Amino acid sequence: MNKMKRWLSVLMLALIYGYVSGQIIPKESCSIDNGRIIFKLDRQWTPEEKREVMLLFDLDSTVMAGVWSGKTEITVKGVTWKVAKVNNRILELSKPLDTVVSSSRGVNDVIMVDDTWAGIVDETEREKDPYGINKFTLFNVFQYVNGKARFFLPSRTGARNVYLSGSFNNWSTTQMPLHKTDTGWVINLKLKPGKYRYKYIIDGRWTPDPYNRQREDDTYGSYNSVVFCFNFQFILRGFQQAKRVVVTGSFNGWNPDELRMFPTHTGWAMPMYLRDGTYAYKFIVDGKWMPDPDNKKIRRPDGSGNFNSFTGIGDSVVFTLKGYPNARKVALAGNFNGWNAGELFMDKTAGGWQLPYALAPGVYEYKFIVDGEWIKDPSNPLVTDPGPDANSILVFQPNYTFVLDQYSDAKKVTVAGSFNGWNKDAYLMTRKDFKWVFPIRLKPGKYTYKFVVDGKWILDPHNDLWEENEYGTGNSVLWIEP
Amino acid sequence: MFCRSDRWMVILAILTLTIVICPNVHWVFATNKPPPDPCFLINNTLSITAFLNPDGPLGAQESVTIPLRRIGKLFLVEAKIDDESGNFIFDSGSANLVLNKTYFRKYMTIEGDPAGGVTGSTGAIGRVKVKRLKIGDLGFDNLMADVTNLGHIENRRGVKILGLFGFSLLKGLEVVIDINNNVMHLYRLDRYGNRIQSSNPVKYDVIQKVEEFHNILIVKARVGEKILDFCLDTGAESNVLNAFSPKKVLSTVSIQRRSGVVGVGSGRSEVLYGIMNEFTVGSRSIPGMQTIITSLEKMSEAYGIALDGMLGYDFFSQGEICINMVRNEMRIRFTRKETP
Repeated sequence: MNKMKRWLSVLMLALIYGYVSGQIIPKESCSIDNGRIIFKLDRQWTPEEKREVMLLFDLDSTVMAGVWSGKTEITVKGVTWKVAKVNNRILELSKPLDTVVSSSRGVNDVIMVDDTWAGIVDETEREKDPYGINKFTLFNVFQYVNGKARFFLPSRTGARNVYLSGSFNNWSTTQMPLHKTDTGWVINLKLKPGKYRYKYIIDGRWTPDPYNRQREDDTYGSYNSVVFCFNFQFILRGFQQAKRVVVTGSFNGWNPDELRMFPTHTGWAMPMYLRDGTYAYKFIVDGKWMPDPDNKKIRRPDGSGNFNSFTGIGDSVVFTLKGYPNARKVALAGNFNGWNAGELFMDKTAGGWQLPYALAPGVYEYKFIVDGEWIKDPSNPLVTDPGPDANSILVFQPNYTFVLDQYSDAKKVTVAGSFNGWNKDAYLMTRKDFKWVFPIRLKPGKYTYKFVVDGKWILDPHNDLWEENEYGTGNSVLWIEP
Repeated sequence: MFCRSDRWMVILAILTLTIVICPNVHWVFATNKPPPDPCFLINNTLSITAFLNPDGPLGAQESVTIPLRRIGKLFLVEAKIDDESGNFIFDSGSANLVLNKTYFRKYMTIEGDPAGGVTGSTGAIGRVKVKRLKIGDLGFDNLMADVTNLGHIENRRGVKILGLFGFSLLKGLEVVIDINNNVMHLYRLDRYGNRIQSSNPVKYDVIQKVEEFHNILIVKARVGEKILDFCLDTGAESNVLNAFSPKKVLSTVSIQRRSGVVGVGSGRSEVLYGIMNEFTVGSRSIPGMQTIITSLEKMSEAYGIALDGMLGYDFFSQGEICINMVRNEMRIRFTRKETP
């Protein structure tokens, strides 16, 4: 009996070993052997694992359906795949390697690869911080007054040249030389309030600011210095006997420890950069949370029986909905508040409903919610598409205007491009001073676009910059500088 | 023998004769102009002709350091071409100076495809003449350049690209590419290929011959058991192995991903992404470098040489790569920590 148990144990161990050793992980399923690209596929994969292998290796769904249904040869788009059975569980899908490649880099070109595979990080995401403070170790190395910034690099007077390069000048290595003084190098420049990343270039070598502790990984093994040009100051009057005063709000995720205010002769202050927008905030005085006693006008319930104070940075837009006198509740929602329908309730007026709201310059989508029903803004002709589910579009503080001064007889002219997913119906141009115009707010960068005149796509006749497109018709090119 | 006035006449005559016979001598007393700048700097620009002259006078500027800026895994150098300032990609895989058609369409085409007109042909190349290109402090005069569409690089990386340049502009120099510090150093060389500037000797881990072929540099390296010809290509975001490499070479690559749609250059092609497990240059093994596998037929055809692959970003990030363009020699000092 004991002998039998031993044999059974050995058999079970062997089975378990066979099961485990036979397992194929989707990401390790591909190899090249003898001129063929080979995929080892496991019949016992979960649907998620099957999807993973298709995504990782861009395997056609028709091919995979053929594999799992037991076919031995599958031809898709002129390519023949063979399926062989390795054992009851593992299938081998393969094709000759030379049919994998169809074209390649030619002369006068670079080789670019998949960003996620190569670990390439999108730097533009980092500009979105809603607030910031500075951490310089010397008081005189950075000053910002009335829109003018002064960068000072002490010592290094033996250097031949020093440049300032950063997100404010598109990381130019030649545009901003510093001037040598007896004690170091200095440059004055105009900057708008905001967050900027920078480095010095000393005799050709990139050097982070040695006197700035506010820094960010530059994703290339070093770091960039970070500076904020301030545009706002939280002030709490009184409470001079308090030991610890903190300001917290929606801009920093209501962090109760991060932003300790400085004592002043009238109370407490916290100068900082706040990105344009509307923010809820509170002060924490020796552990006690309280709304701003000097800001009684703009307060809203915080959901816990108390109130948050609100402040707006930048200019306000007054959203207006005419009519709907019998509606009980009208709210505003858009991509500026994460489409939250329960936050921005509009005030009833004599002619309808309205709500002032501070926004950063940009292009936004929004809708009104009238007693639970989502509607477009009936007074705004700009919509994301002509369909019934379209959102209204708000262009707030435009920084560029598309102009087409011909085609006066055209009935409908739109502008479409990389900024709106080449939607040919959304951005309707209007007639002004005998021209078709469309003002827009665009972030710094490159845009390609075309006008659509009564359904016909045309290049901008007054723009010399254009590039080829896949249709052989060209796209106009526009650069917005920072 | 001579009276005083005669002596003066003789001195004057000798002086006149000397000036006539030796016109190339700079006579300090003849003008108040300062002596020539030993750095050859004119309007803050160092003439490449003077910089390349191995017999030129010794001066303060025997090397130029150019800051590199990265976009993705490509390297940008700021340059001015005639009146247009902007970014060039340092692309050692490019045989010529290349200009982006979007900004140089109006240049007079000397040969090749007409620069104007929407043809739909994205790869069309025209050839134009450029009066002056300035990179860092270095000025290059009267260059020929190819003009082609580079819009796809701008669209992918969001940066304005005026063009590409490679080793064709850097002949006769020693080029040190140090991408971990984002700089490129250019050194003057004497006629034997030695740096004119005396500097502390650097101990290199690998010293190997390179072969120049139409302005691109080929280096031999081993993958698995095979010796292959690789192009040194700073314009490649990844190393590349030719899909038609020997079976034993491709079998050493661990495949991580396959793509049927991601673009390679301006075209679209299917590419395999993986890790090169058995790569050796000189006596140094470099495991774990990223590589793609794709066809290099077009490039091989264009250059008239059978290429087995490219050494791109992952190779250059191993340390300081020093290319001596006179001795045709590559030296590597490994600085990347994970390199064994």
